[in-house]
Amino acid sequence: MTGRIFAALRTLPASGRIGLALVILWLLIAALGPVIAPHSPGAFVDESVFSGMSRELWLGTDYLGRDVLSRLLWGARYTVFLALGAAMLAVVTGTSLALVAAIRGGWIDEVLSRSMDTLTSIPSKIFALVLVAAFGSSLVLLLVIMAVIYVPGNFRIARALAVNLISLDFVQVARARGEGTAYIAWREILPNMIHPLMADMGLRFVFVVLLLSGLSFLGLGVQPPLADLGSLVRENISGLSEGASAIIVPAIAIATLTVGANLLIDALKPGARS
Amino acid sequence: MTAFDPNITRRSVIGAGLAGTGLLALGACGGRDTSRPKRGGMIRIATHSASTSDTLDPGKGGTALDYIRHFMLYNGLTCIEDGSLKAELSLASAFESADLITWQIELKRGILFHDGSELTAKDVVFSLLRHKDPSVGSKMSTLAEQFADVRSDGRYGVVVRLIAPNADLATLLATPHMLIVKAGQTRPDGNGTGPFRLVDFRPGVRTELSRNDEYWIPDSPKLDRIELIAIPDEVSRVNALLSGDVQMINAMNPRSVRRVEASPDYRAMVTPSSLYTNLVMRQDALPTGNPDFVQAVKLMIDRPLINRAVFRNFGTIANDQPIAPFQPYYNPEVPQTVLDLDKARWHIQRSGLTGVRLPLYCSTAAEGSVDMASIMQEYGSRIGLNFAVNRMPADGYYSTHWMRHPLSFGNCNPRPTADLIFSLFFDSKANWNESGWKNERFDRLLVEARGVADEALRAEIYGEMQQIVHDKCGIAIPVFISLIDGYDSRIKGLRPIPLGAFMGYRFGEYVWWDDA
Amino acid sequence: MARSENSRPAWLRIAPLILYRFASSLLTLFLVSAVVFTISGLLPGDAAQELLGQSATPEQIAALRHEMGLDRSAPVRYFDWLTSIVTGDPGVSYVANMPVRDIIAQRLPNTLVLAGITAVISVILALVIGIVSAINRGGKIDRVLNIVTLSLVATPEFLVATLGVLIFSVKLLWLPSISLAPDEASWTETLRSLALPVLSLTFVVVAQMARMTRAAVVDQLERPYVEMARLKGVPFRRIVLFHVMPNAIGPVVNAMALSLSYLMGGALIVETIFNYPGLASLMVNAVTSRDMPLLQSCAMIFCGVYLAMMLVADVIAILANPRLRA
Repeated sequence: MTGRIFAALRTLPASGRIGLALVILWLLIAALGPVIAPHSPGAFVDESVFSGMSRELWLGTDYLGRDVLSRLLWGARYTVFLALGAAMLAVVTGTSLALVAAIRGGWIDEVLSRSMDTLTSIPSKIFALVLVAAFGSSLVLLLVIMAVIYVPGNFRIARALAVNLISLDFVQVARARGEGTAYIAWREILPNMIHPLMADMGLRFVFVVLLLSGLSFLGLGVQPPLADLGSLVRENISGLSEGASAIIVPAIAIATLTVGANLLIDALKPGARS
Repeated sequence: MTAFDPNITRRSVIGAGLAGTGLLALGACGGRDTSRPKRGGMIRIATHSASTSDTLDPGKGGTALDYIRHFMLYNGLTCIEDGSLKAELSLASAFESADLITWQIELKRGILFHDGSELTAKDVVFSLLRHKDPSVGSKMSTLAEQFADVRSDGRYGVVVRLIAPNADLATLLATPHMLIVKAGQTRPDGNGTGPFRLVDFRPGVRTELSRNDEYWIPDSPKLDRIELIAIPDEVSRVNALLSGDVQMINAMNPRSVRRVEASPDYRAMVTPSSLYTNLVMRQDALPTGNPDFVQAVKLMIDRPLINRAVFRNFGTIANDQPIAPFQPYYNPEVPQTVLDLDKARWHIQRSGLTGVRLPLYCSTAAEGSVDMASIMQEYGSRIGLNFAVNRMPADGYYSTHWMRHPLSFGNCNPRPTADLIFSLFFDSKANWNESGWKNERFDRLLVEARGVADEALRAEIYGEMQQIVHDKCGIAIPVFISLIDGYDSRIKGLRPIPLGAFMGYRFGEYVWWDDA
Repeated sequence: MARSENSRPAWLRIAPLILYRFASSLLTLFLVSAVVFTISGLLPGDAAQELLGQSATPEQIAALRHEMGLDRSAPVRYFDWLTSIVTGDPGVSYVANMPVRDIIAQRLPNTLVLAGITAVISVILALVIGIVSAINRGGKIDRVLNIVTLSLVATPEFLVATLGVLIFSVKLLWLPSISLAPDEASWTETLRSLALPVLSLTFVVVAQMARMTRAAVVDQLERPYVEMARLKGVPFRRIVLFHVMPNAIGPVVNAMALSLSYLMGGALIVETIFNYPGLASLMVNAVTSRDMPLLQSCAMIFCGVYLAMMLVADVIAILANPRLRA
């Protein structure tokens, strides 16, 4: 097993290796951030705001005089895990519905497809705004909202893949044997679409990170004093004109996380090693 | 700190005449502005909010943009000219009463509406009484209930009879809601006696006004044209100022001051105000009804830190009571509560609340409350209180969260008189008795003060009420928030009046443009 | 159009598609209205409370509710709205007290102008970037373009917009920082005030479209027919434009339609930063003021545009692709 992983690593192009390194770095920060953070995320460590990098405060202070490094280390987990969770939830839900739609067809397909159109056509940020206003802002709700927003995109792709596969012989054979929907979906179709689905999940991950940062602009997100990466950028936006590290560092964090994930996905695509 | 003048009574209001109204900008601004006032110029102003409910009806005004527009189009019987916050005469030439119940008001002669008709008692009677008509939907309907009767007395005389004595009537009539409109206009259309005429009005988009050359105060106003728009996003508003797209903005973030003042072309004007964001601890719920808890919270608030971190030291440290140091009747004797974590911890231990999880509701709807909540959470953890911050969306916050939870943040705009703020927010029967407290002595003093003409005695009564609120009430007021306006330094004649942004919303009459 | 004789079978294919889509669009629109109505019913407070604000008395709220008709039950209100929208009348806004049609008529052109200009610019840019990097796949240009588009995707749009303002408006004083767009503004003024919003939105959508274009074109370039054509000596430029593109157009147009429908409602952040009076911020205002008729109408427009874009994408795909057309 480990041998295979190393073999796969060796065939990764350089960009893929960079991507992998960035993704692993962010997963580590997300997991261990609070342990290694020098201060609590709400602690007021300095009288001056937007102070630059120094020996004591490596990444300077934010708009209230809190430690940027600590807030970043605490905040990364919300962005990484919320995005990962939402992307997984979206893909699992979207693909399951797509399989049902593709295999059963008929009116079930129609209703599911139209429901997905319904979700896509409501602007996502406004949709999130309304749901948060209705149900309050909790982590679980944020996760569910972002998953719901990205279900239709995955549904579209998974349904197209499944419809293609269904017309193939081995699925028709299984149908002729009288196998049920669940069996066909699980044993015959799913194994053959796992690769593109993983790639899609990676893309959804990137979208969720960006949506989360967009939502933070609208004042939704993790409850203070904690903040996800997007909120860290937003809350320090008034420091942009003076080039405060409090805004540049989290912006770079978002960029490295999403670019890293993208590079890795690109490298894992079949045919990327041409 | 402007001490109030105890001699200002209804009698002195009468004599206060009009002499300086138009020229006051010259005399009072001093300092930086050495240029001579001159005519001409067009400026564009951006405030922080506009909506489709923008209005030309003074009674319905609800935002800074509304107030600014209304003060340009209309005048009040009285007005507030400077930091003393005392009412002076505007459309009225006399304003007097012997018993504080029946008031004789005399109007100035020869004042014209924009349509050329003369201002008469009929217009004043109409303007005051319309607030009592429920179909008008006036924001002052409750206040207008104290008008027992308003009638004209000759062409230029008005008699207002109240249901109970009120020494503050002149001040109340200076508020933007009580401006005078033309008699018979059930939906006022901008035809007033004010310094500017309406050119174009599109709710939620913009208002354009041009100078009223027939204005009744000589040499006023100076500007040719003013355009009002709104830019809700603060960063965008500041950028619009710095890129020259607008010349004046309000509601600047204290953190933007440094940026604006970095260039000599732009200035920031800090107006201390009695605006505050407060923590509400419901007295009819637990654990917030526990006096030890209330005491502990007041002791664990690091007021200097809040002022420094959240308001960049532009605020004024407050003392858990609503009268700010620069306001009339402020009682400096009330001891200032300071941060004392040991004492706070002792109170918490005595109340047995150590470690209890306390949801704390805040929202951007109450300015600064989200950051204050973060600070409370941080300090709470040091004395054994576990605050869980709940940031709520701004819309619906006041109808669903404010006062509805044991711990929530509220926000209170400056009110013109001590009586008003106490009656609206601290009377035990008030709709917005935020903490749900009840203090019989306070309620009794509140009624008593209204009928007292002697200023020294009033000051004593209001002083005691401040002490009671400070000691007993379930609200904590950490800081009075200053209003910060930004402007192009070619605008001259601006000075702060602690009632609202842009000289208590009335800059239009005073400022001039100097592009030399 | 040159191949009009060949395209007759395409119309036979397209007409039923349009009919079918039209019918299913009605279903989708109905679903959207039901979803929006249900969710907005869960929002705390109502239009009367939000309009009167913090200082309202219960009597005032009750009176205003009655005036707005909010004291009727939710299903009654929904049915009322549904019957009026079927007859083409979107009703009267609760808050502004004017017909929803008029309010939207003020905003819709703004949104269409912004979305239209952005669409033209970003589609051209995306095609150029996508095709150039596909042709040079694996090469230096491809890698540079890849990193550029990735970085574009990775920057939050409010940051792009704010940076744009700081550079072009505050520092250089070239462009206005907000969209003032008064009626009497000249064309050049209008274009100048649109420059930064368009730039920011282009940043948001162009990267995704360019990457999809590259993927689709690469997919075609690696097919045997391209090699065959090259061996036959057909110029490469000709192969790309007349053989590869028609085949790649399906997925490209699909991705573009999705991105472009985002320009309608997704412009929210750009509208906020540039104070641009568009539909997205109107819809958010409708949400925050609980203005149901206005909210529903905005949702209908966004949904309608989305469905129309999807239909156009399918039709283009069929018309452009010789195999689908035949």
